[in-house]
Amino acid sequence: MIRSDEFIKRKIGTQFVIVAVGTASKKFSGMISVNSTGSFIWDQLEKNITMDELVAALTDYYDIDAETARRDAEGFVDTLKGVGAIAE
Amino acid sequence: MIKIRIAELNVLIHNIYPYCESFCAAYRAEFDTADIEVAVSEEEVQKEMADGTGAFPVGYYEVICVYRKIALCLPQFGGFVFHASVVECDGKAYAFAAPSGTGKSTHTRLWLKVFGDRARVINGDKPIFRLTEKGWYAYGTPWQGKEHWGANAAAPLQALCFLTRAEQNRIEPLGDEEAVGRLFHQVLLPSDAATADRFLTLLDDLITHTPTYLLGCNMNDDAALVAFSGMQKEN
Repeated sequence: MIRSDEFIKRKIGTQFVIVAVGTASKKFSGMISVNSTGSFIWDQLEKNITMDELVAALTDYYDIDAETARRDAEGFVDTLKGVGAIAE
Repeated sequence: MIKIRIAELNVLIHNIYPYCESFCAAYRAEFDTADIEVAVSEEEVQKEMADGTGAFPVGYYEVICVYRKIALCLPQFGGFVFHASVVECDGKAYAFAAPSGTGKSTHTRLWLKVFGDRARVINGDKPIFRLTEKGWYAYGTPWQGKEHWGANAAAPLQALCFLTRAEQNRIEPLGDEEAVGRLFHQVLLPSDAATADRFLTLLDDLITHTPTYLLGCNMNDDAALVAFSGMQKEN
């Protein structure tokens, strides 16, 4: 999976948001507010990676177990898929 | 064609209907070079009319189209349209934002009543916020909502205040997480990637430099006093 190039992540104050631009903004006009983990996941999705690779990146970077990492990653990836921000 | 000056920018409008001219009358200006130039097609006006209630004369729908186009040009000049009621009090601008029907107009009216000559409405519905050399300013525009509250004026932005209804009046500073979520409800993000990027950079600057508050308020005079005093503290 890889993130759509029609979605951008930007810092607003101390927060990160992901919004749609271009044609994607016709379908999704809202924004997704993300925490630092979400921001990290988004950065990983710049390249085409598998869920296993994403979970590995999370456990490497954060002091969390694989189960927690997978749950966080799957939840966030589902959200992103739901708005069309991830291409399979 | 109409020439107006809003938010210290020269705007040239190629209008179709004469209503646009009377609508913008208080903002007419003379200039040779336009910062922003917009034209609306008959098709766009008709689409706006079909999408809306269709209850107003066609010229009304044209001015809506015109403002949307102007709004899309503002980020390159450090500005954007923000859906809020902006009251100037003692020379500083306070922006009140809330979903329709929450009591923005009522609260605005309270400020005018309680603070009298010290207060006036810069714009009751869709002011322009613009980052200037002196910081963020709120500007009046002809697009000032159904109450037609506004002035061809500007004031430095002191605070952003989101309203909710409450039995007791109270005001508290908002953390960025909540403020950002609420902020996005008051703006229209441009779809063009470069403009959206510029817009988001401006929102970041706005929220970094402007205190944000959540006001729980009723409809008594006390609501204006609580709001005013709560927003005097420097963050």
